[in-house]
Amino acid sequence: MHLSRIPAGMRYYVGDEARLRRKVEDTAMSVFDRWSYEEITTPSVDYYALFEQGMGVTEAQRSFRFTDQDGRLLTLRPDVTSSVARAAATLLSERPRPLRLCYAAPVFKQQSQSAAEWRRENTQLGCELIGDGDASADLEILLVAAEILDQLGLANSYCITINHVEIFNGLSEQFLLDASARENLRELIDNRAIPELNRYSNEVLRCNTFADLVHLKGKQEVIQAAQNLVSNSRSQAALLALSDLWQALGARGLSHSFEIDLGDVSSLDYYTGLSFKVFVDGAGARVGGGGRYDRLIANFGAAEPAIGFVLNLDGLTDVLARQVNQPEISQIDTDLKK
Amino acid sequence: MITIAIAKGRMQDDALALLTRAGVRFNGYSSESRCLISADETGDYRAIFVKPADVPVYVEHGIADCGIVGRDVLLESEADVLLPLDLGIARCRLVVAGISPDEIKSKGMLRVATKYPLLTANYFGARGTPVEIIRLSGSVELAPSLGLCDVIVDLVETGRTLQENGLSVIDVITESTGRFVVNRASYQLKAESIGRLLNALERALSGVAA
Repeated sequence: MHLSRIPAGMRYYVGDEARLRRKVEDTAMSVFDRWSYEEITTPSVDYYALFEQGMGVTEAQRSFRFTDQDGRLLTLRPDVTSSVARAAATLLSERPRPLRLCYAAPVFKQQSQSAAEWRRENTQLGCELIGDGDASADLEILLVAAEILDQLGLANSYCITINHVEIFNGLSEQFLLDASARENLRELIDNRAIPELNRYSNEVLRCNTFADLVHLKGKQEVIQAAQNLVSNSRSQAALLALSDLWQALGARGLSHSFEIDLGDVSSLDYYTGLSFKVFVDGAGARVGGGGRYDRLIANFGAAEPAIGFVLNLDGLTDVLARQVNQPEISQIDTDLKK
Repeated sequence: MITIAIAKGRMQDDALALLTRAGVRFNGYSSESRCLISADETGDYRAIFVKPADVPVYVEHGIADCGIVGRDVLLESEADVLLPLDLGIARCRLVVAGISPDEIKSKGMLRVATKYPLLTANYFGARGTPVEIIRLSGSVELAPSLGLCDVIVDLVETGRTLQENGLSVIDVITESTGRFVVNRASYQLKAESIGRLLNALERALSGVAA
């Protein structure tokens, strides 16, 4: 093998690209700083068991693994949140709450989730707000994310989709779904596989409630439509929380950058409340996401509420680099219009 | 502008006819032309014509916002894309076929030639049959009679090609039709235009003229 070869999913940054990437990182870190988030550096190498607890087995299995001298399984961190959660429950347990922590740190995955996420090393710009379960914490996290994107000059080209996982959970409880039916439905909704979803609704569930979730996507009107759809108290409470959050975002003039999407059910087992995803024009896959994870910290000590998000530094740098290099219309479109 | 990746070959004409019924006309395009890209009259849409297996690739990367491709290709590629519509075009079956049904019985190891290695591994894996998968890229029906394999896993439309090569269907793995797929980011960022196209296609499918 040639020494010139670079492993799949790895890359260099140099010159303009490296400068741009540094600027994106600095912008995010200065926004975190203004919101009183303290920087935390976590171990790059940690026990695999931590991430199995912290991310779930399926996600953790995508990590690079090797063994310690005593035979225990180690991994290059595939995620920062797990480690921050452990620190909150142990090292930082005596500190006053809420804890506001942030980081800019590379994470490693040897298997990408999709072809569009080809990188095996990604730097996460992230923050965690721990010990505050109020609606104001949910709002704060969204405002921090929006402010970073604004500061990067992406004000009119990003979209953050929000959902509350308890809407789906309340429905699956109401319809007494077992684990496999729940997972099956979750996957169909997540893939917006409407033909299969309709078939499953007609033949197995004999109701259209879940199939309707896919279409509940948009602004304020979604809340109204959803209220007519869900009758159980668990889903209704979640919907109310989402509605309040939407009002608060609107009051800050942010409704054009946000969308409610009740069909976003990708990480139901991890998140416990608000969940959201960040999309930016010019990126084929999402560039970030986050949500409330009130069950995680109990794995390492006393239970406490927490919420956080990450933005993908490399994904953002790609988008911004392309904006610089490729103004507006590409040659192929110009040719087509002739 | 919305970019639509269309699988060249089997379903291309049906896909274009359906788009026309939905009010999206790529008049500048003819199947004889070597041009691989075409804009519609309004300038709201452009079509790119690529190999079926490349449709999920373009859509997953967001280079195309959406695409039209067979379910068989999507299952084999495991692409992470949204699947909101079944277009019902180019209907066919993915089957196990061989010279005789006995081929798959009591073999310590079955040799299977296919263009679908992943679906083949999943199908025989679920049955606990050990298989050696021989990956081919075309004329799969030839392989059994020449002794390359015991059976094949391939797409069948009418069954004529199988018959002419002395093969018959042993089992149907799944059905496949043309699917309309959408990139996850485009679905959010171009929600309005994608929604409009989805509605137009749905109306065209239910027989309402655009």
